Amino acid sequence: MEFLEAVGKRRSVRWFKTWEQVPREKIQRILEVVRLTTCPGNLQPWRVVVVERDKIDPKERDQLLACDNWQGAHAQAPVWIYFYADPEGARPETFATRTKELIDVGALPAAFGWSSQAIDSAIFHNETMPAGMPAINELLHGLPYEMSANVAYAETVGACAVATLAAVNEGLGACLHMIAAPSKQEEVKRLLGVPDSFVPVWQLLIGYPAEDPDAGGMRPRLPFEQIFCHEKWGRPFTRNEHVVEELEAEGLKQPTGEPKPNRFDELKYLARMFGYPV
Amino acid sequence: MSATEGRQGHGPTNVRAYKSIQLWMDVVNRMYHLSEEEWRGRLHVVQEFCKFEGKDPDEIIAEARGDRAEKIDYMRRLKRFVKTLTANPTVAHDYENIIRSFFINNGARVVTKPYSDVYNRTQ
Repeated sequence: MEFLEAVGKRRSVRWFKTWEQVPREKIQRILEVVRLTTCPGNLQPWRVVVVERDKIDPKERDQLLACDNWQGAHAQAPVWIYFYADPEGARPETFATRTKELIDVGALPAAFGWSSQAIDSAIFHNETMPAGMPAINELLHGLPYEMSANVAYAETVGACAVATLAAVNEGLGACLHMIAAPSKQEEVKRLLGVPDSFVPVWQLLIGYPAEDPDAGGMRPRLPFEQIFCHEKWGRPFTRNEHVVEELEAEGLKQPTGEPKPNRFDELKYLARMFGYPV
Repeated sequence: MSATEGRQGHGPTNVRAYKSIQLWMDVVNRMYHLSEEEWRGRLHVVQEFCKFEGKDPDEIIAEARGDRAEKIDYMRRLKRFVKTLTANPTVAHDYENIIRSFFINNGARVVTKPYSDVYNRTQ
């Protein structure tokens, strides 16, 4: 599947074929993509637990579902991919290790001033970085643990977005979902054996869609000009309609703001099939 | 006739006269356009539930919306109620869903679950 098609086709799928399992190879393919997700400093602070719903103890399955208020999509999806952020993965020491690796592989060039010594002096001795270099001393020297948790969290969110597109690329339905009710996050960590220090991010529910993969059509989106500005905030980035048409022809569908015809008939049918109230 | 005039014994006879029922039917019909026959079946279940509770639909909703513990108690009693109507667990689940839909569309939040056999299906 082409990139634009994957972005254009992606919907949050909330009705899954409970009876159709996702081949383990497809799960691995998604994880392999996540592993290569972009992140600053090559930190890779995401930590992931994959749960195949029908392969765990039904009692544990129900406990995990109860922690998430028995949300419909969660109850139906055959695979639950829990994403956590590890603050240790975004500590100054980790940043130093990872960026030195980037120097070793030629990603961060000495031409810009990168060297192992520069990294150590900035991160551990708060020495100002020269012009041409990021001010990593200000960012990382004495970085509070809570800030590391924030950085790890932000980077893991990015990995979740990539994972979602990877699932679409595999022909699967996917929905990013909260892991659990905030009051139940610790219980989920206990059930999954996740360390206390990990920060819950999202879980990615995947499976074969029971609903039309278009899931009622493109969701409403904010107007282009409301989001994107040019040079200064408040000066909308001018939108060329020809570009929009071109992208649409390449697979990037545009929102209509309306559900597809018969969407509510479809929802009624799905609710009845799975035993949900209408 | 007022909504409360039609009560017989512990349950109302004309549930359609109640605001909570009208709101429920209005919201559901706007999305799903249920047939009159289906509504008759649904209203019968609600009526029986009201009889079981000894209250009218508006009273039930007011209590369920006003107090979380009360709402949870309603859901517990709902499970007992549907067993008085049928021994078939799937049909019982469907009856429960009628009352849950009535609650949800009147702003009383309730947990919904799929059929219990949903993980064992082959298609």
